[in-house]
Amino acid sequence: MAIDPSDRAERAPRRTATVLTAAGCTALALLAASCARGEDEAAGGQDGGDTAAQAQVLEDAAGSGETCSAEQAGIEEFDLADMKVGFSQSEAESNPFRITETASIEKEAEKRGVELITSNAQSDFAQQISDVQDLMSQGAELLIIAPLNSDGWEPVLAEAERKQVPIVTIDRQINGDACGDYVTFIGSDFVEQGRRAADQMTEALGGKGEVAILLGAAGNNVTTERTKGFKERIEENAPGIEIVFEQTGEFTREGGQSVTEQLIQSNPDIDGVYAENDEMGIGAVTALRGAGKEPGEVEIVTVDGTEEAVQLILDGWVHGVVESNPRFGPLAFDAHESFGKGEEVPVELIISDREYDADNAEEERSNAY
Amino acid sequence: MTAIGMPAVRVDRTRAVPWLQEYGVYIGVAALLVFNLVFTPHFLSLENFRTQAVQVTPVLILSLGMALVIATGGIDLSVGSVMALSAAMISLYLGYGPVVAVLVALVAGAAAGAVNGALVAFAGVQAIVATLAMMIGGRGLSLVLLPQLDGIRNPGIRELGAGEALGVPYLVWISAVLVAVVVFVVRRTVFGRRIVAIGGNRRAGELSGLPVRRTLLVVYVLCGLLAAVAGVLATARLQASDPNSIGRLIELSAITAVVVGGTPLQGGRVRIAGTVAGAVLMQLLVSTLIKHDLPPSWTQIAQTAVIIAAVYVARERGRK
Repeated sequence: MAIDPSDRAERAPRRTATVLTAAGCTALALLAASCARGEDEAAGGQDGGDTAAQAQVLEDAAGSGETCSAEQAGIEEFDLADMKVGFSQSEAESNPFRITETASIEKEAEKRGVELITSNAQSDFAQQISDVQDLMSQGAELLIIAPLNSDGWEPVLAEAERKQVPIVTIDRQINGDACGDYVTFIGSDFVEQGRRAADQMTEALGGKGEVAILLGAAGNNVTTERTKGFKERIEENAPGIEIVFEQTGEFTREGGQSVTEQLIQSNPDIDGVYAENDEMGIGAVTALRGAGKEPGEVEIVTVDGTEEAVQLILDGWVHGVVESNPRFGPLAFDAHESFGKGEEVPVELIISDREYDADNAEEERSNAY
Repeated sequence: MTAIGMPAVRVDRTRAVPWLQEYGVYIGVAALLVFNLVFTPHFLSLENFRTQAVQVTPVLILSLGMALVIATGGIDLSVGSVMALSAAMISLYLGYGPVVAVLVALVAGAAAGAVNGALVAFAGVQAIVATLAMMIGGRGLSLVLLPQLDGIRNPGIRELGAGEALGVPYLVWISAVLVAVVVFVVRRTVFGRRIVAIGGNRRAGELSGLPVRRTLLVVYVLCGLLAAVAGVLATARLQASDPNSIGRLIELSAITAVVVGGTPLQGGRVRIAGTVAGAVLMQLLVSTLIKHDLPPSWTQIAQTAVIIAAVYVARERGRK
């Protein structure tokens, strides 16, 4: 009758497996590589070329006022132009913020003719620790780190101290001794971003109404601080505004869309939505559009300042966007440069973010990322 | 509902447990519906049911393929990554028009499924390992192809995601048709019988001359194809290709729907209606917690409770 199955198991299947696997992989590779044609060229503007208007500006009064110099830190003075700089990015460059941030660092290094080596930890903290150690073993003499977490940096800090490598952290902080463990932190004040979003919301609603918050990912300091600032300011300035709904959209467009769909079912009278990043805000707009709402029926305020969100202001869907400027290149290299010259560098550099609304969206759109 | 179930458990355990296995998931859905009707404002509206039906679509379609794979005693962890792959293909090939883009996305899904199937059926790699590899590799490949979110302006794709026919969204029509097809395949075709037979006892299937390997291969291809469909529909709904976050952890939701629906993980049995109810149950659960504005951590805890309850009931079955 049939061939003995155990016999069959020995010969033909192996070959079939190889053939099929190869065929499947080839198909995927062909689809991936060949003759793809997208809808149209993606909108540019993300080359990280920081024009003067786009560049980060420091907040005058902010920061602790403490400073750090090479002498204080016990590091010899150096000339930035001769140094090899290592940059460790925390998250995949798959959202506009990270893309622009990395591009800005690379562009600035190129402009100054400084040698730069980079790594990306793809949101894996253990990976980022070993990334930074790798950068140092590849000869990085200065570090710029966009930390994924604030804690757990001891192994890196110890090694950097031994090798006398000064560290500048950007967008998030590393918990440690300023000037001992790192030179300076450059970033936005997320609580302040929340407060400014609250001001925009108060203005949009005339100080009265029901508001929902689309929270970012749980357990992230950006989420807690943007929420804290928003709630504080609403409580202080707009007692007529009630926060009736707080759910996480995980900082993704899909999350913002799904949660907003549920929201407008259960709270059809909602007046405003505060999205803690642009992606969730854009998702909220998709949901409102799908439910047949008109622009402006629900006022939306978001944080980030991406091109798409600023465009939605012009379309009337979004009331305002508070910027979180990711163009850290110039300031980060400036900090290393002055530190190397032996100057005093503030240990906390808080940047002043701009704001977009219907009045300035048209002219300021070129500054969005 | 539970009031009827509880005394039965106390009175006659041997009869109650199989009954719970059979109908537990439907009781769960009914209980949640009743709870929402009573306590959730604006629940009883056409709009609301439409929202829930649209939101459950991707998980529902994935769980159909997952049910077939699990019925053979396997598992497919790569479905979320295959969704990402098909989302990337849509964006890459939309220049040729929506039809070509969708077809390419489906071919990519089938190809990924074929690789899984070949490794499982012919190379003898364990399903969890083979599909884990595809889960990692597929996500990586789709991010290489499309490193960032890409908005979709094509009216055809947008219509697919937001449009409707006879008052029912296209997404819901498509998932209904797919459910009907899979039910037919499982109940009425030889292929359906083979799936269950292989899951029950692969060796016996081989000895009685069933084309075991071919059947397994087709099952994984189907699962990949369904995942690609889910990816296309999710992309159309979002009006953007987002390979980075589309389908993240969704394989776990699909497995949950299948298990809660009464299909045992060891295979040999498949319940499509239960799987559909399982997906609906999880969707209603999440929606209930969101609508009542409970902290997101509660959603995870509630999901855990449902899974443990389902696994506990399934354990009773294994013991007999």
